[in-house]
Amino acid sequence: MSDGSGAGNGRLIQVDDITRVFHVGGEEVRALRGVTFGISRGEWVAIIGQSGSGKSTMMNVLGCLDTPTSGRYMLNGKDVSRMSDDELAVIRNVEIGFIFQTFQLLPKETALANVELPLVYRGMAAKERKERAKAALDKVQLTHRMHHRPNELSGGQRQRVAIARALVSEPSMLLADEPTGNLDSATGEEIVRLFEQLHKAGHTLVLVTHEPKLAARCPRAIRLSDGSIVADGSGREVAMAVAGPMVAGV
Amino acid sequence: MRAFLDNLRLALGTFLGNPLRSLLTLLGIVIGVATVITMMGLIEGLRTKVNKDLGRLGAHTFQLTKWPSGGFGRFNWAKFAKRPDIDMEDVHAIEMFCPSVGMVAPSDDAGGQKISTASAETRPSVRIIGATTAYPLTSGVSVQSGRFFNDVEALDGRGVVLLGVDVADSLFPGIDPVGFEVRLQNRPFRVIGVLQRRGSFLGMVSMDNQAIIPLRMYQQLYGKEWSLGVDIQAKDPGLFRKAQDEVSTLMRRRHRLDPDQPNDFEIHTNESVTASFNQLSQVITIAGIGVCLLSLVVGGIGILNIMLVSVMERTREIGVRKALGAKRRRILGQFATEAVLLALFGGGLGVGLGFGLVFLGDWMVGFPMSVPPWAVGLALSMSCGVGLLFGIYPAARAAKLDPVEAMRNE
Repeated sequence: MSDGSGAGNGRLIQVDDITRVFHVGGEEVRALRGVTFGISRGEWVAIIGQSGSGKSTMMNVLGCLDTPTSGRYMLNGKDVSRMSDDELAVIRNVEIGFIFQTFQLLPKETALANVELPLVYRGMAAKERKERAKAALDKVQLTHRMHHRPNELSGGQRQRVAIARALVSEPSMLLADEPTGNLDSATGEEIVRLFEQLHKAGHTLVLVTHEPKLAARCPRAIRLSDGSIVADGSGREVAMAVAGPMVAGV
Repeated sequence: MRAFLDNLRLALGTFLGNPLRSLLTLLGIVIGVATVITMMGLIEGLRTKVNKDLGRLGAHTFQLTKWPSGGFGRFNWAKFAKRPDIDMEDVHAIEMFCPSVGMVAPSDDAGGQKISTASAETRPSVRIIGATTAYPLTSGVSVQSGRFFNDVEALDGRGVVLLGVDVADSLFPGIDPVGFEVRLQNRPFRVIGVLQRRGSFLGMVSMDNQAIIPLRMYQQLYGKEWSLGVDIQAKDPGLFRKAQDEVSTLMRRRHRLDPDQPNDFEIHTNESVTASFNQLSQVITIAGIGVCLLSLVVGGIGILNIMLVSVMERTREIGVRKALGAKRRRILGQFATEAVLLALFGGGLGVGLGFGLVFLGDWMVGFPMSVPPWAVGLALSMSCGVGLLFGIYPAARAAKLDPVEAMRNE
């Protein structure tokens, strides 16, 4: 097991004793119960857990889409756990590249316009925006489809557009939520290969998934259960512990 | 600026994505704005025309009547009916006792009359004017062919008549009627002249569908019991006000009015007639703006509705935008711009429709309408205001959406 409780000096992400409590119909739901871990720059980490384990809440907190009830979350040296909505919007725009299971592309916009979107909210001039979006699409080998709308693209292509959109703003981390969940296995494999390339190129990747098979491909995996970390180690080990060697595909 | 342009582009996209729905929603605003443009066009046209037509009184001429003219508001007609009539004795008194007065031209008129010849007759719509020889000098009427009646014919009340162009054309098409005989109220009249064409009053009532006979003859036909209208011309322009004062003082004395009693007669100048019309047009303007506001509120509710639907339909999109870094203000701006643009587009359509109606009116009734530029500005800015007012709530709702919840929305 790697050190999850480290002081986090020089770490990109340092999460300390984070809790997240929801109030649903008068009942208190503790989605995260004191989670602590750190992620260094350039790491590729899977956060794995079954449904209800708190991994989606973890992903929302890491993605600055939600703030913890208590505890501290340092992202790239900034304490983001107590920021306002608008401050978080800026952090999301600058620090995080999102890749969603359902792609979350704007259906009426072309691939290029979708990729440009984060730069629009950064206030970048249209010409520079376009150039950078084209470069990002080039990284995922989709320049030839840049004027197509999402409904004219295959699932894999859509996810590649989403990855280009995540890359375009050169964020500190790419945060992927079940990135292969809506893809067939061959296309899923294609996307995982793309992640491998991005990892090699030095990007920090955080993958949230329930698939041990996917976690097994990551150098490191953190397993959540009932809102707490139950395992933190190499992807292969954590995946095998969850599903056995066969299922994990190891 | 960049954000605004982006918002503009987004708003256009939404509008073009759903043109029919957008158009239907905008109907309220379109109708409201078209109404205000048409009404303003009508009023402005009327104003121009009135200033021209009502200013028929010649230079330094005013008019003495029993009845107030034009005017607007609650008139106590019974009160005015009790006023003493203005008769020929008053006219003679003015001629004798008002040194600043140069010309006095009493007249009376009756509408709905029929003039005939052996072979033709007019529709019963001719206005018969009983007048004296001073009439052409004070009224702006002039003779196209033939002559006006002379003092002898006037004093004798002879059966002579001057025909308006319309009357002449319908009774004597293609020929000069001077010298022919026509019949009015079963009496023979000799045509001694045809009046110069004067066009129509306010583009509707022809001023050429009339005939002038000596006042004395007129009173034989229609009776003397009607109050006269008297055009009075000052001796020279410098005496215009003095002449009015003299006439007013004389009439008060003749009617035995105490100093604290108001006049029981009216003195009209071109200015006073125009002023009373302006009062009327103001009321119409306010009513028009009221109608417009009401339609705009209806239109605003339409916009509120479509924007709420739009926010609902695009919840997921809003979530994605927020996740990618859009601040609240940005989302607010996006939807507010959309609402304003929508309203402005409706306003533009309304202005177009209004102008269309104005031109149609112009073409159909020959009514010279013109839309003042401020009305266009007012209508468009009111549309903008409505868009903003009714668009801000849906926009605020969109801005407040939680990105996680919003992206989960199907």
